[in-house]
This record gives sequence, C-alpha cells and structure tokens, in this order.
Amino acid sequence: MTALPLFRRAFFDTWRSTLGWALGLAAAIFLYLPLYPSIGGSAQMQDMIDALPPEMTKALNYDQIATGPGYTQATLFGLLGFLLMTIASVSWGAAAVGGDEESGQLELTLAHGVRRVQVVLERALALLLRVVLLAAVVCVLVWLLNGPAQLGIELGNLLGATVLFAGLALLSGTAALCVGAVSGRRTYGLAAGAAVAVLGYVFNAVGRQTKDVEWLLDVSPYHWAYGNSPVANGADWPAAGWLWAISAALVVLAAVALERRDVGA
Amino acid sequence: MATAISAKSLTKEFGRREVLHGVDFEVEAGSVFGVIGPNGAGKTTTMRCLLDIIRPTSGTIRVLGTDPRAGGPELRRRIGYLPGELFLAGRVTGRTLLAHYEAISGPVPPGRVDQLAERLGLDLTRHIRKLSKGNKQKLGLVQAFMHQPELLVLDEPTSGLDPLVQQEFHAMVREAKHRGQTIFLSSHVLSEVQQTADTVAILRDGRIIAVESVNGLREGAVRRVRFTTSGIAAHDAVALLSGVPGVGHVEVLESDGTATLSATIGGDIQPLVRMLASLRLTDLVLEEPDLEEAVLTMYATPQEEAR
Repeated sequence: MTALPLFRRAFFDTWRSTLGWALGLAAAIFLYLPLYPSIGGSAQMQDMIDALPPEMTKALNYDQIATGPGYTQATLFGLLGFLLMTIASVSWGAAAVGGDEESGQLELTLAHGVRRVQVVLERALALLLRVVLLAAVVCVLVWLLNGPAQLGIELGNLLGATVLFAGLALLSGTAALCVGAVSGRRTYGLAAGAAVAVLGYVFNAVGRQTKDVEWLLDVSPYHWAYGNSPVANGADWPAAGWLWAISAALVVLAAVALERRDVGA
Repeated sequence: MATAISAKSLTKEFGRREVLHGVDFEVEAGSVFGVIGPNGAGKTTTMRCLLDIIRPTSGTIRVLGTDPRAGGPELRRRIGYLPGELFLAGRVTGRTLLAHYEAISGPVPPGRVDQLAERLGLDLTRHIRKLSKGNKQKLGLVQAFMHQPELLVLDEPTSGLDPLVQQEFHAMVREAKHRGQTIFLSSHVLSEVQQTADTVAILRDGRIIAVESVNGLREGAVRRVRFTTSGIAAHDAVALLSGVPGVGHVEVLESDGTATLSATIGGDIQPLVRMLASLRLTDLVLEEPDLEEAVLTMYATPQEEAR
C-alpha cells in the first residue's frame, strides 16, 4: 500500500494543469515586471497617474505604482497574478469533491477502502500544495527579475507577500471545495469561490473610496492580505494567519458535511 | 449456510420521495443473487446502501456480518463494486487508474490485473478518455474483481458489453462462485442473470415482490416447441401432441405434405421427447424457457384475477 493514494492521484494526475497555470503566471511576470523602469519609475507615468481620477487609482491600487515594490504589488500580486491564482485555485477546489461527485467518480472512490474525511483532507492537501507551488514559482521569478528590472524589493517583504498571495488564493479555493462538498455540485463550488474573490476585490476597491464605507474593508479578504501593501511594507502576519486559518476551517467543514450526507443521490 | 447480505425493512426517502418502501432479502454466502427490476425500481439505491454511499432512512443492513455504516474502509476492502453508471475520466492509462484503485482496495495478487484484462480483451496502455463505453465497463469489471473480494456488488454489469465479452463475464462470475465469493448483481432483464444466478429477486417500485430460485423458475417455465414431420397427417400429429401432458397452444403452421406444428410445454419435457421420438422429424426447435415470461405469469396473473 502506498501512502496518501488520493492525494497522489489529485496532485500528480493534474500536473498538466499545474504546469499550465505556472506558465501563465510566468508569462504575466515577464510581461509586467521588466516594463517597470520605463513605465512605473518614469516621471511621465507619475504625471499620468496624477491625472487619473483618484477614485480610479485607488480602486486599481495604482496610487503606489511609482515605486518598484508598489508597482509589483499593484500589477502582479494585486491584479493579474491574483486573478490567475484565484481561477486556478477555485477550479481545483470545485473539482476536488463537488465536481468529482457530479461526474459520478466519487461514488466509486468511496466504495473502496477509504474514509470520506480522508478523501476531503487528501484532496485539500493536493489543492494546498499546488497553490503553494504556484506561489513559490511567482516568488522565485520575481526575485530573479528584482535586479534586472530595478524593482528594489526586499526579500523578507517578498516572502511575506508570497505567503499572503497563496493564502488569499487558497481561501477562494477552499471555499469552492467546501461548498462543492456540501452541495455535491461543481457549479455551486465555482460560484462560492468566485464570490469570495470578486466580492473581496470589490469591497476593497469601494471601501477605499470614502470613510462612510470603510467597514467594507473589514470583510474583504483581499484587503486583509494587501491592505498595507506587503511587497513594499512587509506582511501583516495576523492577516496571513486569518486567511490560512479560515481555509483550514472550511476544509474541516467540508469533511464533516461530506461525512454526514448521501453521495450521488 | 452463512449469510453474506441481509436487509430488513429497508426504506429510503430522498426529500419527500420514497424510493425504497421496506426491502427485505437475504443473500447466502457463496451464492449468486440477481436483482431484477425496471429502471427506477430501487436497484441502484439498494446497492449504494450496501456500500454506505447513501444511508437508508430506516431498516437494518448487514454486509459480511457488519453494518456498512460501522464497517468503514475495512469492510469495503472486502467488497468489489461496479456502479451502474460508471464514469471514468482523466488523462491516464487504464493501468495507472487500476493502480490507483488497487492502492485503495484489498490486496491484488500479482499478475491478476493483466490476466483479467486479457480475458476481457482490454488494452491497459490506452488512455481512459479514449476508451469506448464497453471498454470502460471492462475496466470497471477489472477493478471490481481484481482483489478477489468476498462480496461482489455489480450494478448492471453487462451493459455495454458485446455478447462474447458477456460470456466471458458469466465465466468470471461462475469462477468467483467456485472460489466461494458471493455475487450480488442487478439487471433490468431476467435473461441476463438467469445464466449465472442461483436466486433472483424481483424489485418493483421499491419493494421486493418475489424471490425465486432460478432452477425453480426453470421447472415452472413454459418452453416453445416447433417441429416439422413427414409421413403423418397434420390432424394426427395434433392429436398426438395434444395428448402430451403440459402441452398447450397447439397450432398447425403448415400441412402441405409435411406438417409443421408449434405448441407450448410447461413442466417435464420427457413425455414430449418420447412422443417426438415416434415421429419422422425433419426439423425440431425446443426453445430455452423464457423465465421472464414465467415470472410475469406467476406474479401478474394473480393480481389481475384479484381485480
């Protein structure tokens, strides 16, 4: 008997997908970061940013784009990287239990010598490791471009931002996994994961506009992670703790829910 | 004889819809038990309850002496299961997928997977998504049989298989029975299980309406006989045939020089054979009894009479 058979299948059988997302993230990094010296750092760009409506620069987090860390934070971690990572994580999370049940494959797996809790935990572990792997790729590539692209990012801050980056994507992914496991439907899982990500982003963008709606920031996972611009200022470690702890709680909830209900009914 | 499966007063509701209304049956260890019923009768639901994939609303189940809810992975390792709607996917080969199922089921003897694949004519090096429905079904059968489980639960096992492979499957079932394994299988038609099953249960609208031994059904079943004879007038042949006990529905199909007659015969066929031996036959067809018809006459007629 091999250890962690369900994890191995979920992790290794999806290597093409993992590789695809890694390439996508790498492309985003190589597209954006080398442009910093000619865009973000230039006086012309600053003039252009200043000319934009302040609401817009706040919503896009472009208010800090004139520095290397701020530029990396806004364009990569806050926008395109966040988008790609979230989509990857949510699609894996929704497929892990809900998608597997909907397609009819979960029934056969559960008819074997496995526990349902084990199914959820091993697949959540596969989700976690794939997200961490992608985040690590991003971290390494950014570090490689740090000198050539004159970004001036401190290693400690980059590592902290990577932990938050992974935690934020994982939160959407585990929300998708949890709702998929509760409902047995892939679509519901996808919707839940996307809702966490999109609402988090929108609440952050709107919450930053005026004092009146500042409370929106408190319920935005996006703001927990990126509120203080971790690439520039270092990670908010309690926020990182919250992101990872809520993800863990969602996985536990998924395991309990699956254990208690009929499958494929 | 030990009992491999017992179900008592099994009911299952999905929301307000009750699918099983008190299913009772027992399967002897080492026997082949077939459940017959139309789609939606509750066959799949019953089987899923045996594997703790869904939980009954009320009633008790014992599988290999244990409640499936309490048996956990240890119990399920002793069972081989083929779902009714088998869905296999993934960009892996059949061999890789079987290795995965091997890791989460009971121990598989070395060489067993290849031996089964060869018997069923299944290419294990092909990717799953490129397999036809029949080949996926073969893969499903291999994963159910490979660890030689004490109990096999097979939901519509022959669906999608061509006749030659069906024969091979029947041989596999007989071998499993000889080895002492218990087989619980389902079909929507009786003719599919009558070759292998010792006992059949008829499930209709969430209730078992009959449990019969296949031998008993065969004895009670009605066969159709048709023969052509020469050198005897048709009405004489009719008189001879009608004199045989159990014969009915005598018809003359042809009386032009040779006489062709058809009839049905229930019960013992020895008297019929003796009578036929006295004729000069040019053709004889004695059909295999249609057990389906036997069951239908046994259980449909009394109901209609009661009305």
